[in-house]
Formats: sequence, structure tokens, C-alpha cells
Amino acid sequence: MTVKVEVVEGGVPHTKIMAAGIIVSLVCLYLSYLNTMTGTEMFSFFGGLAVVAALIWGSHTIKVLCSYGIGTGVPSAGMIAFGSGVIAMLLATKFGLAAPIVAFVLAIVVGLILGYLSNEVLNMKIPAMVQSLTELAVVGAFTLMGFAVLISGSFTFTGLTTGSITILGASLPSYQVSFIGGSLIAVAFMLGGIAIQHPFNACLGPGWTQDRMLMLTAECGFLSMIVAAVMSFALITTGSALISLIVAIIGWIYTYKQYFALSKRDAADWLDAKPIPDLEGH
Amino acid sequence: MSAVAAKPAAGGAMNPTAMGVGIVMLLILLGICWYVAPGLGLMALIGIIIGGVLIGFGTHFVPVGGAPAAMGQAPGIATGVAMLAAGAGLAGLFGGAWAAEQGTVIAVVTGGVGGGLMMAITCMMVNFVYVFGMGIPAASGKVKADPITGDTQAEYKSQGTEGHGLPFVSFVGGVVGGILGGAGGTLIYLMLLDLYKVTLPTMMSATEAQIMPIAVSAAGMFAVGMFLVNAVLTAYNITGTIEGPHDPKFKRWPRSVVASAVASALCGIVAILIVVI
Amino acid sequence: MENIVFGIGITALTGALATVAGAAEDTESNIGSQGDPNSQVQLAPQMGFLHRIFNKAVAGEPPAYGLWCCLGAGLAWAFMAMQINAVLAIVLGCVLAVFVQGVYATTAYLGRQASLKKFGQPIYVDILKSMTTVTMAHAFVAIFCTVTLCFLINAALGHPFPLPLLGLVWGIALGAAGSATGNPYYGKERQYQNQKFGAGVPISASGNIVRYAEAGERNSLDNGFFTAKLGGPASGVCFGLIVFLELWRTVIFEKIDFPGLGPGWYAIFVGILMILVFTIADRYIETWARKTYGPYAEPKEASS
Repeated sequence: MTVKVEVVEGGVPHTKIMAAGIIVSLVCLYLSYLNTMTGTEMFSFFGGLAVVAALIWGSHTIKVLCSYGIGTGVPSAGMIAFGSGVIAMLLATKFGLAAPIVAFVLAIVVGLILGYLSNEVLNMKIPAMVQSLTELAVVGAFTLMGFAVLISGSFTFTGLTTGSITILGASLPSYQVSFIGGSLIAVAFMLGGIAIQHPFNACLGPGWTQDRMLMLTAECGFLSMIVAAVMSFALITTGSALISLIVAIIGWIYTYKQYFALSKRDAADWLDAKPIPDLEGH
Repeated sequence: MSAVAAKPAAGGAMNPTAMGVGIVMLLILLGICWYVAPGLGLMALIGIIIGGVLIGFGTHFVPVGGAPAAMGQAPGIATGVAMLAAGAGLAGLFGGAWAAEQGTVIAVVTGGVGGGLMMAITCMMVNFVYVFGMGIPAASGKVKADPITGDTQAEYKSQGTEGHGLPFVSFVGGVVGGILGGAGGTLIYLMLLDLYKVTLPTMMSATEAQIMPIAVSAAGMFAVGMFLVNAVLTAYNITGTIEGPHDPKFKRWPRSVVASAVASALCGIVAILIVVI
Repeated sequence: MENIVFGIGITALTGALATVAGAAEDTESNIGSQGDPNSQVQLAPQMGFLHRIFNKAVAGEPPAYGLWCCLGAGLAWAFMAMQINAVLAIVLGCVLAVFVQGVYATTAYLGRQASLKKFGQPIYVDILKSMTTVTMAHAFVAIFCTVTLCFLINAALGHPFPLPLLGLVWGIALGAAGSATGNPYYGKERQYQNQKFGAGVPISASGNIVRYAEAGERNSLDNGFFTAKLGGPASGVCFGLIVFLELWRTVIFEKIDFPGLGPGWYAIFVGILMILVFTIADRYIETWARKTYGPYAEPKEASS
């Protein structure tokens, strides 16, 4: 249990990724505040970029955590990240402009306590546990907030719970057609929960390389952004949603191609319709 | 436990200091809640803690063998413990939420029965596939005889494996786990829903009918989130696999109960603060 | 009364949809080697057994299907909010969800195989092309059926949860039921066809999966072909029973007063009765197997 299976060899150190993740996500979340300042919804796509940045950081955290045998599958780490992140994020939305900062602080508190519970009360004794669960809670909160901005154009509680419905040309306020009222938060929860754990789950093995895994995370982030942008057509103006969709598609195509190239680079061989190669000794 | 049972790993030990700290944390969180939201809020938090403990304790009963179970190498259901518990618990939550307007007791019991029914069907189908699909009888690797039926296990264990399928005690464990999980999830949902129904209309200056979608959706999402947190913590406690209530790992449940109680209190108080701040 | 008849009709329809969804889910995950049998596909090259099996480890089946169904439901909800017809909205939502599933499948396969470079396991592009499309087709059936049944539960039976949350709940339940029932059949019976029938796979044989077919080399379509005959339908029956019985007991008995206790209790007692029926059935299966198959003879001596 306490034996470290493999160390992070080479590549960008984890602290650097973490710092970049925090800063980029926060900056992107605040850039989306341009929506309120300019009175449009055109800058919602910054929420999607915050998602991508937070996920890149989170997937590397999962890599650090799961390098120790934690006894359960990799996906469970993503689930606990978002289970703890969702409550921190929802409370933070009550604080208006301060929401991203409050989400950061609250998620740290929640994550620290959960980490203490796992490590001491449940006696897991994994050195990286407390820090990792703290980071994951923050990542969960940031990702959900990013999706909230992307889909509804706002990160305040009122913005997330109030939408408008158009009946026969007249626009009426509606609580049902909103990010929380329509439970789109459940979709954001699952999109993030899979995207955060998938890159490490897919790339684990002796030939793990950091740049390939992080490229895959970016790809998962942009892929989630595409579908989230499609959902945002229901809540924000068509033009703004279209901007998010185009940004997402461009980002996704680029990262998907890059990921193919990196996989080709790392693979033992790249074959099309060839038989199983002969191995010596078998 | 019998001699066949392996000696619990070092991870099985309790940490009394940490348990004490956990209980103190629980009291502090309850105190905060009593300070900011006495009455309804405190009642809701106590309900949430009970629900979380039910989930954490119930997950110990769910017989899950993980990857080896898929090869007939270990007894239990071949999937992840947290997600199987979530599957059963959420199926229960579905039923409980439906019965919400009939009162808390009926809704919680309905949720429990829903979770138990899901596990009963699943466990029976698992044994069905093992017996009629693969010709393998059920056998436990951790005990000499089934504690409920008294059936001996060792000679039905095929060579080179730790057992396979679901002996009767594991089946019963699965159903009990589903019942506890379903009831716990439903209890969390109901507590939050009742709180939100009362507080959201004044907070958002709207009628109760208008905010119902938000109350249902937020309470449902929190119930799912807390369910996953508690189930994953329990999965960490039993390191991913357990055979059921007869497994030596089952004795670790006090740790999980403390952890679940604190985690639920923490998540619960945050969920309550949303409407009282 | 008319209400109840309508409810029973919807219940029957959702049960049928759930059965199809369960069968398609299991076949899809077996073609992709998703879920727990995946560990053996991953292990085989490390033991020197290179193979041509599709290895898409997106996540465990319950979280993966939680996402696909929740996503399909969320997109359908969004399309309906844009005033698009419900049937079209569900189809469009599921198509987009399947697109996401397909992309995840390809990245999972590439990632896992590329990380096995040390053991000489190559990436087969033809597998990517031919298997991904087949899993996408099966996933579409599973997602479409699940989202439709969620829509029926929400719109016709009046469940309070919004569509995406129902998609999450039933998606996770679908994955849990499908992986629990279907995994052993694929993991033991198909991957280890070379091992003794009617016994678990000895731990020493781990990784030695069957890699050759009747003619040529086995690929994952052969696996789907095999498990679609028992594992798939069994998963379908499992999920179908779960959905049908859960709805049936509520729709019919929820409103009837139980003498002395009031409404709601009838549904509970019927649920408990059904649990007992399944308990008896399980016990019967267990004892039948012990009696008919008997204990393993000389468990210490037999060698593989």
C-alpha cells in the first residue's frame, strides 16, 4: 500500500502544472466576467478554456495519486473530485464576483478534510493523498464553474438558476430552463468526471509519457466543450454559443491530431491490417 | 472468522487518535450548523449525516470482486464497489424521490426497497450466468462454511482460484447493502429538498411551484454527489474489494462510519449554507 | 383507472427499452473490452501474448454509461428547450453522445497500446476503424433506449427529476447491471476459452488469453458475436427487470391504501415480496449447481 509504484520521471514538474492550472483557470473564469461588463454573452467560451486548463492540472494530479496503489480504479478518484467540487462550487456562486476565489478556498477546505479522513481515519497512509484530494476538489469546483459559464454565460447563483423561455415570440423568465433547474449541472458533473480520469486511465502503463497524457486531457476538455457548447444554445444567444462551438471544434481538431501523432511516436509499431508480430521466445 | 481467512493487511488497523479528531470535527460542524441555521437547518444536517453513514456502512455489504471476479478467480460481482453501490443507491433514490410527497418515512423505505430490489435482481443474474452460462458453482474463499446456510465452501472452489460466484451470504449482503444505500441516498435528498422548498422561495422571491425545479435538481445533484463521496471513501476503506458481511475486511466498518459521518456533515453544511447565507 | 392502464402501458414499454439497452450495453462493452475483463487484455502483452483485441479503457462501465446517458439526456433536454420536437431531440442528443463515445474509444485504445511499447504491442489502425464503428452502433442503441425510457418516466409517468438527472441515475444503473452480469461471461468464458470449462481461471493462467480464432486471429468482433448469445441477453434481462419491476410496483400500488397504514405501503410490501422471490430463486440456483455439478474432485491434484 505504501510502496510507490513509479515516480514521475522527467517532464514538467507537478508544481509547475499546478500553478499554471490555478492561474489560467482563474484568469479565464474572470475574463468571462466581460460578459457582465459588456452586457453580452460572447465571452462565455472563456469558461470552456478554464475547463481545459483545470482538467490538465487535474489529470496530472490523478497521475500522481494513482501512482500509489489506492486499491480502487482510477475512475473513483474523478468521482470523489467532482462530488466534493460540486458543493464547493455551488456555495461559491452565491458570492457574486468573488465566486471563483471563494470556490478555490472552499474546495481547499473540503479537500483537506476529505484527505485527512482518507489518510488518517481510513488509515490509507498514502503520502500524496491529502494534497491530491485537495487539488482534485479545486479542479472539480473550477471545472464545474467553467462549464456553468460556458453553458449559461454566468457564474452567479441567480444566473445559474434563472433562464428565459420563448413562447410565441414573447420571452418569459423561467427557473426550469436554467443550468441548475434543468440539471445540466449533472451533465457537467459527468463530463468533467470522465474527462479528468480518462487521460491517465487510458495512458497508464510502462510507456506512459507526460506530453501524450496532457495532450489527451486537452483533447478530452475540448471534446467536452463541444457538447457543452451545443447545450449552451438553449441558454445563451445563438451567436455567443456559436463562438464557443467554433473555438471548441478548432481546439479539439488540433489536439486530436496532435494526440494521434504523439501516439504514433510512442507506439511500438503502427500497423494496418497486419497479423500479430512474432515475439522471440513465444 | 475462520482460519481460512487471510490475516487482515496492515491497512486494517484503527487509528484511535484520528477517529477522535474525526468525531471532534463532526461536533464542530454540528456546532457551526446550530449557530448559523438552528431548527430546520440542524435537523436537515442530522438527517444528512444519518444518510451518509447509512451509505458508508451499506457499501461494506455489497459483494464486489473487482477484476479477478470477471475471470472467476475471486467471489463477488465483477465491477467496481463504489459504482455498483452507486447504481443500487441511485436506483433507490429514484424510487424514493418519486414517493417524496407521501412523507419521509414512506419515501425512505421506498428508496431502500428500490435499492434492495436492484441488488437482488443483479445478484441473482450474476449467479444465473455463473451457473447456467459457465457451469461454475458459487464458493467463497474467505470462510469454510456459509454463515447463513452452513454450506461448506472449500470443495466447491476450483483449483488455483480464491472462489467464484455469490454464495448465499454474499447475496444477502448485496441486498442489505442496496437497502441501506437506497435509504441513505433518499434521506439526504429528502432533507435537502424539504429545506430548499422552505427557504428558496423567500431567497429568490418566487413561489414554491416556481422554484420546485431548482429545489429538486439541486437536492438531487447533491444527493448524487454525496453518495459518490461516501461510496468512494468506503471503497478506499476496503481497498476496492469485499466478499460481503463475512469478509474479515468487514470489521473495518467503524472507520468508514466515522469518515462518512464527517464527510457528510461537511458536504451537508455547505449545501445548507447555500440557502441560509 | 384509465390512468393506471396508461401507466402500465408506459411501464411495459420502458421495461422493453431497458432490456434492449442492457443487451446492447453489454455487447458494446465486450467488443471494446471495457470493464473488468479489460485487465486481462492489458496484461496479456506484458506476459508475452501480443493480441489484436480492442482495448478501450474509457472508464468502468457504470461511470462511462453514466456519462453517455446523462449527456444524451442533457443534449436532448437542450434541444427540447430550443423547441425541437421530442423524438428528434432525443435522436440528435444520442447521436452527439455517441460521437463523444466514439472519440473516447479511439483515444483509449491508442493510449493503452502506445504505453505497451516496451512489450512490443503495436497499434492496429484497422482495429480502430472497424471496431470503433461497431461499438458506436451498439452504444447508440443502448443510449437511445435509456434516454427514451428516462423521457417516458419524466414526461408520461411524472417523475420529478429533470431528464439529465434521470439519465445520470439510470445510466449508472445500466452500467452497473450490465457489467455485473455480463463481465464474467466475457472475462472467463470467452477470453479464457482455452481453460477448463466449469471452473474459474487459475490465477497462474492470467494473461494467457485466447488470441486465435477458428480461422486467423481473433478480434473483438468475434467476442461480441460470442457474448451476444448469453452475456448480452442476460444483462438485458437484468436491467429490464430492474426498470420494469421498480416502475410497475410504483405505478400500480402507489395510490392504493394499505389497511391501517395508508397509501405507499402497498408498493413497499410488494417490493419486499419481490426481493424475497429473487432470494428464493437465487438460493435455488445455488443449490441446484452444488447438487448437479458436485464438488471439484481432488482439488489439490489437478493441474492445468
